[in-house]
Amino acid sequence: MKAFFCALALVLPTALQAETVPVATAAGEVQAPLTPAKTVALDMAAIDTLDALDVAIIGRPDIAPPAYLSETLASVPTVGTLFEPDFEALAALAPDLIVAGGRSQAQVQPLSQIAPTLDMTIGGADLLNETTARIDAYAAIYDRTDAGTALKAELDADLAAARDAITGKGKAMIILTNGGKISAYGANSRFGWLHSALDLPEAYPGLVVENHGEAVSFEFVAEANPDWLLVIDRGAAVGQGGEAAAATLDNPLIAGTTAGKTGQIVYLDGSAMYLAGGGFHSVTGTLEQLTAAFGGAGS
Amino acid sequence: MVRLASAVGLLGLIAASLMIGAADLKSGSVDADLLVWVSRIPRTAAALLAGAGLALAGSVVQLAVQNRLVEPGLTGTPEAAMAGLLAITLIAPGAPLMLKMLAASLASMAGTAGFLILARHVPRQDPMLLPLVGLIYAGILGAGVTWVAWTTDLMQYLGVWQAGEFSGVLRGRYELLWLIAALAGLLYLLADRITILGLGEDRARSLGLNARQTMLAGLAIVAATVAAVVVTVGTLPFVGLVVPNIISRWRGDNLRRNLPLIAVSGGAVVLAADVVGRVIRWPYEIPAGTVFAVIGAGLFLWLLYAAPRPAGQNG
Repeated sequence: MKAFFCALALVLPTALQAETVPVATAAGEVQAPLTPAKTVALDMAAIDTLDALDVAIIGRPDIAPPAYLSETLASVPTVGTLFEPDFEALAALAPDLIVAGGRSQAQVQPLSQIAPTLDMTIGGADLLNETTARIDAYAAIYDRTDAGTALKAELDADLAAARDAITGKGKAMIILTNGGKISAYGANSRFGWLHSALDLPEAYPGLVVENHGEAVSFEFVAEANPDWLLVIDRGAAVGQGGEAAAATLDNPLIAGTTAGKTGQIVYLDGSAMYLAGGGFHSVTGTLEQLTAAFGGAGS
Repeated sequence: MVRLASAVGLLGLIAASLMIGAADLKSGSVDADLLVWVSRIPRTAAALLAGAGLALAGSVVQLAVQNRLVEPGLTGTPEAAMAGLLAITLIAPGAPLMLKMLAASLASMAGTAGFLILARHVPRQDPMLLPLVGLIYAGILGAGVTWVAWTTDLMQYLGVWQAGEFSGVLRGRYELLWLIAALAGLLYLLADRITILGLGEDRARSLGLNARQTMLAGLAIVAATVAAVVVTVGTLPFVGLVVPNIISRWRGDNLRRNLPLIAVSGGAVVLAADVVGRVIRWPYEIPAGTVFAVIGAGLFLWLLYAAPRPAGQNG
């Protein structure tokens, strides 16, 4: 605790002196410190986008990141878990800015006693707009407007390509597999942007708004008969063994759907979708994956 | 009369279970034969077998410790099975199902044995004491399992075993439960001995029963049954408590005579819970374990308060 207060005393004056810049966050517009030297990021999507902007961080949560981030993060010290930051370790790092959100959203208030903390939560069906807003915010904070503009252009290009590839290729259903069971996600869910932003029709319209998806049976998928199955393997996403998604879906009911018959089952990068949803690499990677899968199919 | 009514009830339930599901049998968008053989029949069988197994396991445990308020869920058995599953998942993630089942069975035997040792030292005056001890024991085991799962990032995996439900049941994914039918047969052979065991260890011994051996055999059957259920569909609370109690209150404690009825009733209540879970939010699913926990809690309270309690007899 002592270390905590000492650090607090050290941090506060610098925080007060530093220049600030208004940025949009999940909690509305706030004043963020301009070009902070030491940033701790506790949200995987934030880490993802910061990495795309070439911003180095000095602390991260203790969790296996998506593969594309593992090299960058290998040497970054951990400060607690996604849900429970290690406040003492954090204070010892004396960051100038903490970027939190998503699973650490509840910790934003306590964290802001250590350093200015931004709630950069990304969620919901409007994910792509939030991704862009975060790029803008980080670009403003770290004074990298050009890099931000380049990222947004890349995102737009990937989005246009994916829309192009998807148009007229049929209806899709997003399912998450977990230990032999499945749940379905609709257009209003955390993965819903795949439908709403890409104009990809739902095989079962009107799935209930649920962040955690709806527990469904294989019969449900068979009856909805999607042309495409977009699969997120939760076990693989969080680095677990267990029954792989392909094994879970290897049954006559799934095989009988159009998606099963035509081999149009797309296994998305679960780690990117599940852990870093809304991050720049996560979104563009998913878009490119969809473009490749849908683009290869005859319309 | 009762027999006829229950047979008709059970057949009705089975018919309902075969008819009801997320896909429509008559719409033709999914091949009806496929639907029935791959999804409906396995699911119905799984619910019947799991329910029957847990009810039988409940009655064996109750006779073994001579306490009506105990069930496998209150003896740390499912928690121990999960510990075994977790251990084998960590040691050999790709292990075949039978090996996982074996690990779960051995662990649940050890866990149940631990409870029986505890039970010897619990005073018998208050019948509520033993279930409480079991609850704490199961809680401690469960906390250990949760801790291991938490530190190894397997929490969600654990969740799959904790919520007993049948949405993932298909042909080829539940057959392990048929083991329960075999175990029930074994139990039938042992039934008289376990009934005598229910008189208390001293009396059982004076009647010439090898109490320890019988206890071990019963324990092995309970552990294997619970492990099979946990591995394939997850834990289902209350079944082992409520069903044997209702049956024994109604027909006494002759296990051999009651065995078929206990098995059928256990299967029926779980199947009913599963059918209800399929219907409430159709076409989505509510876990059968959740549905039964609600019904079971009500039945349990009724058992505790409403029914007459013969004088001089615990529970």
